Order: sequence, then structure tokens, then C-alpha cells
Amino acid sequence: MKRVVTRAEVPSPIGEAVPRRDGLAKVTGAATYAVDVTVPGMAHARILRSPYPHARIRSIDATAARAHPGVLAVVSAEDLGDVHLVYGHAVADHPLIAVDVVRFAGEPVVGVVAEDSVSAEEALRLVSVDYEPLPFVRSTEEALADDAPILHPKPGEQRAHRGFDEDIVRTHPNVCSSSRQAWGDLEPAFADAHLVVEGEYRYPMCYAYAMEPYTAVASWADGGLTVWTSGQHPYMVRDDLAHCFDLPLAKVRVIVPYVGGGYGSKSYTKIEPLTAALALRAGRPVKLALSVEEAILTTRGDAARIRLRTALDRDGRILGRQATIHLDTGAYAENSPLVGRKAANRLGGPYRIPALEVTCDVVYTNTAPASSFRGFGAPQVTLAGESQLDEAAARLGLDPVELRRRNVLDPGERPWPKARGIDANLAADLELAKEELRWSEPAGPGHGKAIALSASDAGSEPITTAILRVLSDGSVVVMCGSTEIGQGSSTVLAQIAAAEMGVELERVHLVQSDTAVVSYDRSTGASRTTTLMGLAIQAAAREVRAQLVHWATSSLAPDGPAVVEGRNGVRIGETDHDWGAIVRAWFGGAAGEAVGRGYLRRAGATEEMPPFWEIGCVGVEVSVDEATGEITVETLVTVGDIGCAINPQTAEAQDVGAAMMGLGMATREELVYQDGNLMNGNLFDYRVPRTTNLPELRTVLVERGDGVGVYGAKGGGEGALNPVAAAIANAVERAAGIRLREAPFTPERVWRALQERDAAAAAEAGLDRDT
Amino acid sequence: MADAGNAPGAAAVAQARLEVVLTVNGTTRPLTIEPRETLAEVLRERLGLTGAKISCDAQVCGACTVLVDGMPVSGCTFLAVDADGRRVRTVEGLAVDGQLSPLQAAFIDQAAFQCGFCTPGMLMAATALLEETPSPSRADVIHGLEGNLCRCTGYEPIITAVLQAAEAQP
Amino acid sequence: MIPRFALARPASLADAFAAFAATGGDGAYIAGGTELLQVMKMGFAQFGTLVDLKRIDELRGVAVEADGRLRIGAATTHREIERSPIVAAEIPGLVALERGVANGRVRSTGTLGGNLAFAEPHSDPATFLLACGGTVELAGPTGRREVSIGDFVVGPLATSREADEILTAIRIPPRAAGEGRAYEKVAFFERPAASVAVRVRVADGAIAEATVAVGSMTEAPEIVAGAGAALVGAAADGDAVEPAAAAAAGAFDALDLIEDLNGSADYKRHLAGVLLAKAARAALAEARIDG
Repeated sequence: MKRVVTRAEVPSPIGEAVPRRDGLAKVTGAATYAVDVTVPGMAHARILRSPYPHARIRSIDATAARAHPGVLAVVSAEDLGDVHLVYGHAVADHPLIAVDVVRFAGEPVVGVVAEDSVSAEEALRLVSVDYEPLPFVRSTEEALADDAPILHPKPGEQRAHRGFDEDIVRTHPNVCSSSRQAWGDLEPAFADAHLVVEGEYRYPMCYAYAMEPYTAVASWADGGLTVWTSGQHPYMVRDDLAHCFDLPLAKVRVIVPYVGGGYGSKSYTKIEPLTAALALRAGRPVKLALSVEEAILTTRGDAARIRLRTALDRDGRILGRQATIHLDTGAYAENSPLVGRKAANRLGGPYRIPALEVTCDVVYTNTAPASSFRGFGAPQVTLAGESQLDEAAARLGLDPVELRRRNVLDPGERPWPKARGIDANLAADLELAKEELRWSEPAGPGHGKAIALSASDAGSEPITTAILRVLSDGSVVVMCGSTEIGQGSSTVLAQIAAAEMGVELERVHLVQSDTAVVSYDRSTGASRTTTLMGLAIQAAAREVRAQLVHWATSSLAPDGPAVVEGRNGVRIGETDHDWGAIVRAWFGGAAGEAVGRGYLRRAGATEEMPPFWEIGCVGVEVSVDEATGEITVETLVTVGDIGCAINPQTAEAQDVGAAMMGLGMATREELVYQDGNLMNGNLFDYRVPRTTNLPELRTVLVERGDGVGVYGAKGGGEGALNPVAAAIANAVERAAGIRLREAPFTPERVWRALQERDAAAAAEAGLDRDT
Repeated sequence: MADAGNAPGAAAVAQARLEVVLTVNGTTRPLTIEPRETLAEVLRERLGLTGAKISCDAQVCGACTVLVDGMPVSGCTFLAVDADGRRVRTVEGLAVDGQLSPLQAAFIDQAAFQCGFCTPGMLMAATALLEETPSPSRADVIHGLEGNLCRCTGYEPIITAVLQAAEAQP
Repeated sequence: MIPRFALARPASLADAFAAFAATGGDGAYIAGGTELLQVMKMGFAQFGTLVDLKRIDELRGVAVEADGRLRIGAATTHREIERSPIVAAEIPGLVALERGVANGRVRSTGTLGGNLAFAEPHSDPATFLLACGGTVELAGPTGRREVSIGDFVVGPLATSREADEILTAIRIPPRAAGEGRAYEKVAFFERPAASVAVRVRVADGAIAEATVAVGSMTEAPEIVAGAGAALVGAAADGDAVEPAAAAAAGAFDALDLIEDLNGSADYKRHLAGVLLAKAARAALAEARIDG
């Protein structure tokens, strides 16, 4: 790893690769995940799922299942008349269990609760459901046809947590939401263009494959509901549960233990309402632990079809861009309206574009629902945008990195009128990528290099709180709603608290993600935690420090001398008093504590949206096996422009993990549907990267202190994924002379493109001979 | 042993429950189990050893890797009855008297995990690898861990940690 | 999850037959279980009773028999074969193949007999053993018989084994002077997309005999006679065999290839050609051991 640091000095332990605080628990098997949670009296649930992509449920016969030994409850929608079955934080269209109609193969229809999961599984097979199959739509193209079957004849109402200010707009009965981003005057841009590059690009349905499948445990007690879940947004889950069961927010407790991977796929509500409903009917605490096959049918990423044209002048300056995007959200909205909004915002990339118009329709199809997935529209649109810049460079005879350099936004320059200015130095990032990729050295035969960029309006909404308690011995407890999902938040946030309070890291304890204990945080996603929760913790630390200084004055030096605030306490005259001593002195005994609060909202430094820009800057060198069509990524360069690496080890780890995930999606990952049925919904046939796919890595962390967060930090974790597919496509073009526009770039697709290349060359040679 | 006292040939009679004796992390564990119970189920649900995780449930991902007589197996599919009379090792047994194994220490040092869900299986696969190949090359580690998936780290820190642990071994 | 079943653990073939007979048709034999338990888990098969064959001594072990053939007990695991010095000496290609079967965990548990008896169309060993002229021994309550791999594996998940018969051993002919065997595959997912095994016998600097088997692309591994014939007469030299291999691959045109997630038929046919050339070179390299 290389670090390029120009930011101001930071206090210890900021910027230090302190060991992860979850390490010991995770290497000894002691770390507890939702699937490891047991509560007294807990029963087990299994779910019967629809075999049809679209059907009316005529009747359900559960007589034999109810009589099966060990069965406690067999539950379908008709047994849940007292529950608000339909939820959805953006668009309320998703029944927690099918109501009259199923809209995708795999939709939950009946839940069985039994003493053990084997009995529950046996009972499932005794349930018979009579379906009336309905016509269904397989693709966005079919969904938008005039006579297409309509998935949601009565559209779900829009909800407050959709994540953007605009109302939900629908341009077709099968469009869940439509987003538009536009500025400038498009017509002259294209009329005056020296070059217009056009193309259609496709990005596949992907599966995040968080190795821990969705799991929830629900328990009704004390007039309220407690749910342990693998979900990454406990407060969002809380809000949906309160809605479904008509409970005050205060009566819903959501606890998130360690999470076994998320990558966006554990955002928002998944199986928690269903689990709680089953527990309600069974009269017992219930665990619902999905299999990976079921998890794939629960959430996937949005597939995209992008039609894009880019207008440039003769010097390679972008004049305008116009795009039409269709995202396939499957049967339900989930978080796709926001993915669509973001896709529209991110298509421009980190470039100065005088005129732009993007429309993005999020389209319903009879497939498993799509929702948040690392990158959030950016991987999809970046494939299109960055591919066109390389095409343009080739046609203009320009170096593709030079073309980018001419177009990148300057630091502080706004991509569109109301947006925050870019908080990064993209031209400098490009230079670093060139250096690491040894851009000036030509790639060998069959090899090709490329560098690609992305910029994402990240951070979500700044609605975040934190509580910081200084105990009577001076140790510190931080209570926050950010989830430890593997990204290292439990380490990084503790580092921030330790630095702000001037106490040793070992004396800071972090409590996370229990809505009955910690205060509100909107979500753990959009690369926001270090930046936004970091600011909330800093605010809480500042408040408690002010309180403690005030206490020191009133209890230790009411009549002087002056109290001087130090790093980890105060100095009065010649005597140092640490925070604990001040607490004890003020309470007048051996006990007590001081509480600091941190509130973050859309105001002050976090008023402008987005809170920060997340930059992706990736370089690859690939080789192409012309015999099989297999692409090998030989070298992978990541330049992490993150303002300040609170912990360089975890920061680098985010870039590497994200880029490797991007590599998988670019080359191999795709969920394949045939006639409404998922053909590869398992780990045999859905291939994620392995040790053997690991390229040589060259990582750079760039710290210019230009982020809105503490010490100039800004988010990471998604950026390095976003440009990977585009970088690979562009490198393959340079290696083999083929232009790939449909990800994943499977061996067969590459082989076919090679065949076409050879056929075209042969035809041309033939023509040459003829003339 | 399980068949002790049975008449010759009686083993041919199918049983719905079996008495087995597993040695788990050095401790003898007599159990009466159903044949359908997998080793992962028995470890997690009967013995409270929840380190091994179920992910793909198809012998592909390796999150459930435990060692039986030193060999890595998929706990999700390996029947617990087949561990009868054999030595089972899990992630909970790697540290001895509170002392982390060199591999565990290297995993912490390199941050060779993020979410940690693959880690118990990864550590057991790597333990078996190092026991058979104490000084592996990078290629050996890549081959040895090819069947263990990690979705967070991109593998590099894991490979580095295994090589580091190999160097650190006494 | 695996559905409930009862388990019999016989220590002899006779007890195994008795145990199977007692299941009344609702039973199956099990060895490593890596395939059977997986399909039971997925709900594709269910049995009231499984009869475990792992405790039967004669199903284990690797040895060279009096006639020179290598005998591998059916319940021998992939891992044992991978690490067997006898196999390494007799059939090095099988060791290389075993090293690439699934993953280390499956190799610890899964058996060669189980792999063949399950007859998964993507089986690595079936394709290789078919080209090598391997056979399986089947024992039933009324006697034993030996059949070639080609007569044993008859379709996807289908063999000529009777329900009560037990696959006891696999036999592979010894490598004759000037003989070489190799197996090549390409895999994009957990199982191979295409595989080709080649056996050649070299005499006087040219290929005198050749067998080509393809796997993973067809309903069951099969010998492509035309491909083998096209290799005969080619110079027994790595580079020189290329044109012959290309010509031999023409015989794949007649194959009825399965189109699936691994690729369409024409792509697999192309891959088979690539693998044929690779396997032919590797087989010739082995044949050269004898000078």
C-alpha cells in the first residue's frame, strides 16, 4: 500500500492501523451472528414459496401440516388480519407474505413454525396451495409493452424513507418510479459535436452473496416486540415493524449482532415482519434462518439496460450526454427507487458536462426483488459512461487518460447546479493510477491496460445521532446506531472517540445497533458511517468536554485559578485532572457520569447534498485467452481518494474487497432467469471470485483532508467497485480489439466477440483483395 | 464404541437414532443423535460450538469447514455419525490456554477478515493446509484455499496471513 | 436440510445386501454422501433408510492386481487416491485429475465409487476412466459382474447398476509401453463446462492407437470414435499433433451437446477442440516416458 498524505496532522490514534477490535471474537468463533442467537422457548420457522412467477392463490389447505407432530402454527395472509401486511420504506407495495397474488417464483406464501426446523420443513411439504397461473413479464422490455400484464394494478403509496426529495413519478403502470436528471441545453451540444459516441450497455442481475443468509429472531414480550436480525439498518427495520404491528416506535426493539456481510443487500427490511408475524401466531419466540437459495430470492441487485450517447468536441471535451436507463427491480420496489435516482445522478461521472439529460425508469418484472447493492446504480452507469470515453479517445486519437484529465471536475466544482462541489482532486488521482499501473510501459501481446473513474453522490441523508458517556474512571462508552457489518466501524468509530476525548483506545467501549439502547442513526450504508457517525461522535465528544470543563470549574476551582482544557482533562494551576476525576468531583462521591450528545442533520457543514462525493479510481491490466475467451485480470490498481484514512488497514481493505467484488460481477456473476424461474439460484452455478482470481494488487490511499467528515475524512467502500467493469471492458478492447457492452464478460461472450472480430477482419481482407 | 454389545450382523439393522462418541477439540463427547444430523448441526446445536457457519449449504463455500482426523470436511453435509470415534477440531479449539495459534494471530495482524462469517472455516482450512504443508508457497496457499469463499476481503490479506503464520510456526 | 432417515452400517457385503433388502425399496446405499446427501437436502430424493458402505473393508484400498490392473476400492476417497503412491506410479493422470475434483473437503469425504455411481454428467473421473478402458465391479446378492465404464454410465444420473447391487471396485488397465493418458477440463462454475480425456499409444514415432472421450457437455461421458481415429497416424510430437487434433475435433460436430449456463453448443464444441489439443499433447508427453 502506498499513502499520499497532504492533510493536516491528526491526533493519535487517527491514521493508525490499530488492530480491529472484533478480531479476537472473529478468529476464535466467539463472534455472535443472528443465526447464533437463541432465546428461551424459541421455535423454528420455514417458508413455503411460490413456484410460479405470477399467479393468483385460489386456496391453501394446511390441515395436514397443522396436524404434523411438532407444528405450532401454519400461517398465511388470511391468518394475519390484524397485521398491516404491506410495507416498504420507499413505496409501500411489499406484502410480508403473499396476499391473494404471487409476483415472483420464490415469494413467501405460507410460514410454518415448529419445535424444530426439520419438523417445520416436513410440515411445509404437507401444505397444498392451489394457484391460478397468470401471464407474467420476464424483462423490462416485456414489462413496458402496451399489453403487458400489470404487476401492481393499485400502486403502492410513496413513503418518507425513500431517500430523495422528489415525489415518486410513474410513467407506465409497470414503472415503479421514474427519475430524471437534467441540466444545460442538449440540442446544441449534439449539433455542434465533433464526435458522438452511442451505445447500449447491459449490467446483469447480481447477487451480493453476503455469506450469512438473512436471519431473524422475533420475540413478543412486555407488550412489545424484540427482533434480532442480520439487517444492517436497525432503525429502518424498527420503523417498518412499528407500522406492520401498529406499535409505538418505543415498543419495538431491534438488535443487530455481528453481521455476516451485507454490501447493501441487508439494507432496510427483509424477513423481520414475517418472522414477527409468525412469532405472534405461534405464541413463541421464532427464529427464521433462510438458506442461501432463499436469500437469493429475497434480494438481488438491479439489472440495467442503458442507452447512452456522448457528444465531444475535437479535443475530447465532453459537450453533452443523454441516457435512458431501465432498471429491473423485480416484483417489488424495495430500495430501487433510490437506486434509480442515484443511477441518474451518477451517469455523468466526475466530469464537467455542459448539458445532460438522463431518465431512469425502475421497472417491475416477475422476478425476485432488487434493492440496494454496493455501488447503487454507479457500477451500472459507469460501465456505459467510461466505455464511451475510451471509445471516444480511440476515435479522436487521444490517450484515454488524457481525455479524462481534460474533462474531470476541478476541486470544488459542482457537477450540477445544486450539488456540493467535488471534494477531490481527480486529475491528481489519475496521475497516481497511471504511475501504479505503469501506464507509460506498453502492455504485452494479448494484454491491455485501462483506467476508469466514477463519482457517486454518497452518504445518504445526514440524520445521525450519537451518545458518548464519560464514566467515573474516565473510560468512555460510545452508543451509536451504526452497524458493524465487517467494514470495521467498531474499530474506526472507537478511534475517533479516543482521539476526541484524548483517552487510550483500550478505555473506549462501543455499543452498537440496539434500538432500545443506542440513539438513532438512519442507516449503515452509502459509505456514510465513518463520515457521518464520525461527526456525530465528534459532536458528542465536544459537548461532553464542554460539560466536563464547566464541571471542573464549578467543583474544582469555583474561585480560580483558571481551568485550562487539555487533551484528556483539565489543568488547574499545576494539577492535572482527568475526565474521571472531574466526574467524581462534581458528583461529590466515587460515582456518576457525564453524557454528551451528538446530533447531525442537514445543516451547517452537512447542509449541502450530497454530504460527500465518493470517488472510484481503478486501473487494470488484463489478458485475454483467445482460445477459451477467458479474461484474466493480471493487475488491479485502486486509488482511494478518502480524505483521511482513520485506519489505513481497514480503509485499504474496503477498496480491495470492493474492487474484487466488481471483478466478479464484471467477469462471471449473473443471475439467469428463464421463463420466470431463476436458473442458477445457488452457489454451484453462481460463481463469486476465489483465491485463484486474485490479481496482483497495487493500492493507494490518498489523504488530502478534503472531506466533510472528521479530520477531512469522507467515505469509502463502494468507490473501488464502481469503475471495475468499465476498466476491464476498456482493457479488453486494448488487448484484443473487441468492445464488450454487456456484463458479465463471460468466456462465451468474449469468444463470440473474438469470432466477430475475426470474421470482420476476414471480410475486410476479402474486400481488399476484391478492390 | 457405538456398536459395542451388538450381535454380529446387527449393524445391518437400520437405526433411527445412534449412539456415537465424538472427540471434539480433545474432549470426549458421547451423544445420541439421528443419522440425518450433520456435523455442523451437532456442533452448533447440541454442543454449543457455533463457530462453524452454514452459508451455501452445498459444500462450495467452506464456511462450515471443520477437521475430522486432520482432514477438512464440509460440516454442512458431513454426517455426524461419520465422525463417530474420530477426532473433530473446530475454530474454538485453535487457541490453547488462551494463546492464539500463529494462524489466528496472523489473521488479526493482517485483518484477514471483515464480516468474519467465513473466518472459522477459512482458519480450519488453513490449519489443515499448514499441517500438511508447513512451508507453503503462495501458489500452495491459493490452491489450498480455493474452495473457501470470502466475499469481503478479496483474499489478499488471508493469503498473506497464512504465509505469515507459516513463517511464525515453531 | 437433510430429511430424516434410518441408517444401517454393515461391515460386510452380505450384511449390506440384507440391510438393503430390509428397506423394502425405500433405501439407498451411501458412501461419502457428498452427492447423495446434497440431493436429499435439496429435496430431489428421499429415502427411509440409507445403508452405509464405508465400514466394508473390501470396498477400500488401492492395489495392483495379478493381471497388472490397478484396483481401487469403491469407497476409496478422492483424497486417498490423490495421495496414493501406487496411483501416482501407475496412473499419474488420475492423480492430477483428483487434485482438481471439487475442493479439498469434498475430496476428503467423497469416494470414487460414489462419484461414478451417482453418474453426474460432469464427473471428472468417469470421462477419464472411460478413455482409459476402466471397468467397475458390481456385487449383488446373486453374484458379481464387471462392466466397462461406458456400459455402466448410461445417462444423466443413470447407470446400469441394479438397485441392490453395490459398486465394489474400479479397475484400470496398466499403462502399456508407449501409452499416455491425459484429462483436461475447463470450468466456469462449480462443475466443468467441458472436459476431454485422451489415451494414445505411440509406436515408431507415431500415434498407433487413440481414444478420445468427452465429458460434461453430453448427457453422459462418451467416446468419440471418429476423434480417436483421426489422431492415429499423427506424429507423436507435441507441436506436430496440433493439426491432427484440429482434424479430430471435427468429429465433435456430430455430438449432441447440452446448452446450459456453461455455454451454447457451438461454444462447447469449440472448447472441446481446445481441450482435445491440450489433452493430446499431455498424453503424448506421458507416452514419451518410455522413450
